[in-house]
Amino acid sequence: MTEPAFSLRTSGRLRRRQLVNRLMGALALGAALLAVSVLAIVVISVASRGASALNLDFFTKNQAQGFNPTGGGIRFAIVGTGVIVGIATLMALPLGVMIAIFLSDLASPRLARVTRLALDVTNGIPTIVIGIFVYTIVVAAHGQSALAGSLALAIIMVPLIARSTEEVLLLIPTSQREASLALGVSRWRTTFGIVIPSAMGGILTGTTLAIARAAGETAPLLFLTSLGTSATADSNPLHPLQSMTYAIFNYSEQGDPGFQAKAWATAFTLMCFVLVTSLGAKLGMARYRKKMGG
Amino acid sequence: MRDLYEVELGELETLLREEGELVDRAIRGALNALARDDLELVDELVAFDDEIDSRYLTIEQGIPSLLARQTPVASDLRLVLAILYINLHLERIADYCVTVAKLVKLAQGLPRDAGVLEALAEMGERCREMLGTGLADFHARSARNFEALVDMDRPIDRANRKLIDRLIALGPDEAQREWAMRMILVSRCLERVGDHAVDIGEQAAYLVRGRFEEFTDASHKKSPK
Amino acid sequence: MEAIRTKIDVAGQERLSTSERETVFEARDISVFYGDQRAIDKVSIDIYRRLVTAIIGPSGCGKSTFIRTLNRMTDLVPSARLTGELRYRGIDLYGPGVDAVEVRRRIGMVFQKPNPFPKSIYDNVAYGLRILGMKKDLDERVEKALHSAALWDEVKDRLKDSALGLSGGQQQRLCIARAIAVEPEVILLDEPASALDPIATSAIEDLMHELKRDFTIVIVTHNMQQAARVADMTAFFGLNVTPKGSREGILVEYDNTEKIFTNPSDKRTEGYVTGRFG
Repeated sequence: MTEPAFSLRTSGRLRRRQLVNRLMGALALGAALLAVSVLAIVVISVASRGASALNLDFFTKNQAQGFNPTGGGIRFAIVGTGVIVGIATLMALPLGVMIAIFLSDLASPRLARVTRLALDVTNGIPTIVIGIFVYTIVVAAHGQSALAGSLALAIIMVPLIARSTEEVLLLIPTSQREASLALGVSRWRTTFGIVIPSAMGGILTGTTLAIARAAGETAPLLFLTSLGTSATADSNPLHPLQSMTYAIFNYSEQGDPGFQAKAWATAFTLMCFVLVTSLGAKLGMARYRKKMGG
Repeated sequence: MRDLYEVELGELETLLREEGELVDRAIRGALNALARDDLELVDELVAFDDEIDSRYLTIEQGIPSLLARQTPVASDLRLVLAILYINLHLERIADYCVTVAKLVKLAQGLPRDAGVLEALAEMGERCREMLGTGLADFHARSARNFEALVDMDRPIDRANRKLIDRLIALGPDEAQREWAMRMILVSRCLERVGDHAVDIGEQAAYLVRGRFEEFTDASHKKSPK
Repeated sequence: MEAIRTKIDVAGQERLSTSERETVFEARDISVFYGDQRAIDKVSIDIYRRLVTAIIGPSGCGKSTFIRTLNRMTDLVPSARLTGELRYRGIDLYGPGVDAVEVRRRIGMVFQKPNPFPKSIYDNVAYGLRILGMKKDLDERVEKALHSAALWDEVKDRLKDSALGLSGGQQQRLCIARAIAVEPEVILLDEPASALDPIATSAIEDLMHELKRDFTIVIVTHNMQQAARVADMTAFFGLNVTPKGSREGILVEYDNTEKIFTNPSDKRTEGYVTGRFG
């Protein structure tokens, strides 16, 4: 056995490389831990501060009348948020999906680019500006209402739903559409019979994320629906209804620590809702991706 | 493209060409042995047949291998089939040469008739000519001489029949009769050689034209291949 | 006795002469353009009823483009344009007032990569039937289609299972069943076995022999031996390089498969089938 013409032995270069590798690994890990810990801190501080106000009454009773920092609950706000976000979703989902169908199937490349740009810009408009816009066209003439709030939220949700649905529609291979068309099925029936059902998982995920985002909006609702009463769990969309986000704002303005605690508790409830729906959406998307890829 | 395949096809055809040349020599040798009554030549011829056999076997084995591995189609397929059949015909011709040689040995010492020998020599030369033409056409991928080949065969058949008549009339002598019978067999061998030479021409025509054509006539029927 | 010499054309077969066959498609000078680029140039061909017609040729010769003109799938490419005349049973397929959707109902297609829907096996076959209003006796129709595609025995106990759980060969037969279910007259297959292993390929080829009893079949294949095995008629598309340097497909030779593979008329066909080029 002769000596090889080159050497594979360790050298100073190798040791330096190993050191750099370890350092980079440590930095990356540190950054990740930092991000996670920020989330943890937020969750823990909100939870701890609101814990004192969390009880069954909190969720089931409306705001106590008179000055009662510890009595009553936020039922009115939960119902309000539900109605406002619910109607917004009913408006935004079909519209967003149709826009996505337009983008992925029908539009010429130029038109598609313009539309996408418009959606992205809309996405970037500060939500308070959207609120003002809806105020001038609806509230100025007819007064505040939950519907106006829904309208504003819908405007915010549409770009999100449209873009995420488009992304999912593009994931559906052309071969699926071709297979359907080759059977003598029309384009529209192909879209609604094959493409949309296949994309449903992704569509729902995108919608869920949009709902989570909308539920957390405060600014637009300030002008549009904040005058809602807190004494009854009104669910008439033509009336102004209060949202949870506004309730947080409202409670935090009050001096009494009891109200403060309520603010934290409401914040905690809302945060839990957003966390759960976001996580659920992510898991759903992962399962959906696996199904499409399999 | 398909270089290896081309090389294989080329090798088979080269072997066939060699075999053709060897068979031509065998015919010449057999005719010489007959003309000169040369027993040494007879022994040489019998040994020489091994040369031809070895090429025959190599081609016989090479063809199924090529067919299985290379799936030739169109003109390649016709070429391979033509090689297969020509190989068989050449081997049969070589066998007839050996038979003639052995007959010369068996006819040793018997009284010979010059006229008969001359006729046989002529028949033999004709056969050589036909074989040469058929093989040349094959290697040149031409069917030019196919019709002529068929025409060349007819005189051989006629000569064969005339010879038989003459040999029957030769005489009452027992030795003469024995010689006559041997020569009838030689004549028959040569006539068969002629038929095989025509068959080789047929294969050349098939290769070129892409259609198989054969002829039938009253004296010998060919079975469809 | 004079020798009687008669030539017998031993290779001639007892087949219907082309003039006696019924034509299903008549293409005259079909050219397809994608934008300014011509993909196939003046193809004229008659496709006969209840025969398997194979289209072979090197890549880029327009085989897929041509087969897609037969059921107007070229319509799906926005820049595609067709000149010439294509008649299906006498009707101009690209004439005014002809509904592409109706065309595709009668002329079905199976693609190279099996593309079953992410539904159950039953629902895959039933999809077309339900949408096209052929809902009567759905179960029987599905079973019949699966039988015709030689798949019934393998799936009869798991019709509700997802189609995606089948093997590649089974998925392709499912796609065939799906196409057959809506009772087309013609089935077009664009390289149906190229994504399959040899055993699955063999199953598909055997299926062709069965299917041609009821359907007219046109198959594009880059595998010459496959064309030799399954097709009655074979069309060889060659590549033509124009003076400008662009490549377009042309029909070089179209004849009985046996002729194409034993004695083709055109040197280019000979060159392609013997593997000397392409």
